[in-house]
Amino acid sequence: MKQQEFFSSRWALIIASIGIAVGTGNIWRFSRIVAQNGGGSFLIPWVIFLLIWSVPLLIAEFAIGKSARMGPVGAIAKTAGKKFGWMGAYIVFVSAAIMFYYSVVTGWCIRYFYSAVSGDLFSTSEHLAYWNEFTSGYQPLLFHIAAMVLVALVVFRGVTKGVERVTKFLVPSLLVILFLLFIRVVTLPNAFEGIKYFFTPDMSVILDHKVWLNALTQNAWDTGAGWGLILTYAIYMKKREDISLNAALIGFGNNTISILAGITIFSTVFALSSVDAMQQVSQSGPANTGLTFIYLPLLFSRISESNLVNMVFASLFFLGLFFAAFTSLISMVELSTRTLIDTGIKRKKAIVVVASLGILLGIPSAIDLKFLANQDWVWGVGLILSGAFISFSIIRYGVDKFRTEIINGFGSDIKIGKWYNYVIGVLIPIQVVVLVSWWLISSISWDPEWWNPFHAENFGTVIFQWAIVLSVLIAMNKFLVKKTLSENSLSER
Amino acid sequence: MDLSTIITMVVVLGIVCGGLGIFIFKAFKYEKLKSKNGKE
Repeated sequence: MKQQEFFSSRWALIIASIGIAVGTGNIWRFSRIVAQNGGGSFLIPWVIFLLIWSVPLLIAEFAIGKSARMGPVGAIAKTAGKKFGWMGAYIVFVSAAIMFYYSVVTGWCIRYFYSAVSGDLFSTSEHLAYWNEFTSGYQPLLFHIAAMVLVALVVFRGVTKGVERVTKFLVPSLLVILFLLFIRVVTLPNAFEGIKYFFTPDMSVILDHKVWLNALTQNAWDTGAGWGLILTYAIYMKKREDISLNAALIGFGNNTISILAGITIFSTVFALSSVDAMQQVSQSGPANTGLTFIYLPLLFSRISESNLVNMVFASLFFLGLFFAAFTSLISMVELSTRTLIDTGIKRKKAIVVVASLGILLGIPSAIDLKFLANQDWVWGVGLILSGAFISFSIIRYGVDKFRTEIINGFGSDIKIGKWYNYVIGVLIPIQVVVLVSWWLISSISWDPEWWNPFHAENFGTVIFQWAIVLSVLIAMNKFLVKKTLSENSLSER
Repeated sequence: MDLSTIITMVVVLGIVCGGLGIFIFKAFKYEKLKSKNGKE
């Protein structure tokens, strides 16, 4: 049977993929990390890692998905060999684990958008107390369920009628919203100081290894490279579609949007903050939310004398944040759904299973911020392993063969040179080893009981959860691969 | 604004936003070419 669904055009695929890459991380994490790492000093390595981490892995994901026409389990088994299907299953598991709490975060965005529209957000000046009251009640659970149901409705309709149609509206709308906010805040008095800080390198930290490792981490987390999500959308690209140019467009497009969001946030903070602006930008707050849900509402209340104008800009900001989160969540749900489809389950049944599990397994994160922070930590670092497995499968296949036959094969607009062999075969594995070691070794110093697997953010909890998941998946490898690669499960149902 | 800020701004915006501009231009060019070839 032939595959039935494809993205209708190159631009539809690119817009949907930009929707994957641009998430809340571009808006709240990027600004915070730039502020903590010396402004412009961070931006230089961040650009370098775009070129040697994000774009090569995006190319790899597009190529694997387009050639294998299966979700990560089948795709990795076909590329690296049947013995390594568990690596694909790990990629699926990590994205699913992130989906469970990302749906909660999407729910927060819906709630804060509603708060801004209704004016409730400006009824208080105590935004930390407002946030604490919200997160300690039942509302995060309700909004998490609402987010998951909305996404399920989109994915239920399939790739062309659901994912493509919705992202074609949401991604351009997000860009318009970001641009409107950008124009407004850069014209505020003192906003230029924020832009200046954003681009001024702090020479004392420019060679600090932490700045470079944070820049690599930011690229690994916010471009969507190595998550398996692009691989899943690539299943639905037409044979005549190009790989390399599309991957470059997504990597560079994502980082351009990060710059736009960063300038907007820095300008807002420097123009409207009465206390130390820098301290506010670099605040993490509970579950890394400090800047977005606690300090920005306060700053939005100061944009103008008119409450209505402030409400409009705050509403636009949280609507944009919701669109960014929602389009990323769609891809996470599609990845899990596609994995089930590959095992012979029909799409409609698969989405019911994925959404039900998503709602159920997101509950702990919805009711307990510590649990959410734990999952964010464990699977955030876990994502780097996903990138390693994608790189490994290409090395197993033969990097040069992969480059010439698949990346530069039918449909390619631009040809990728031999530099790619070196990046995938040498640089990506080195980056993975350095990054995983750095995060794990650093985490030992965060907690005196660093070995305790039941603490939220330490070394022990990562090793404990990774070990369980990897052992189960390796043990189930034969079953998973057999179920996925069986003859009658090769088409979209 | 000092020189290091200007240089960083030019390098970062030049590579990231400039790169995006070039890739968008190329994608349009190849799409036009593909649709032209498809019609023939």
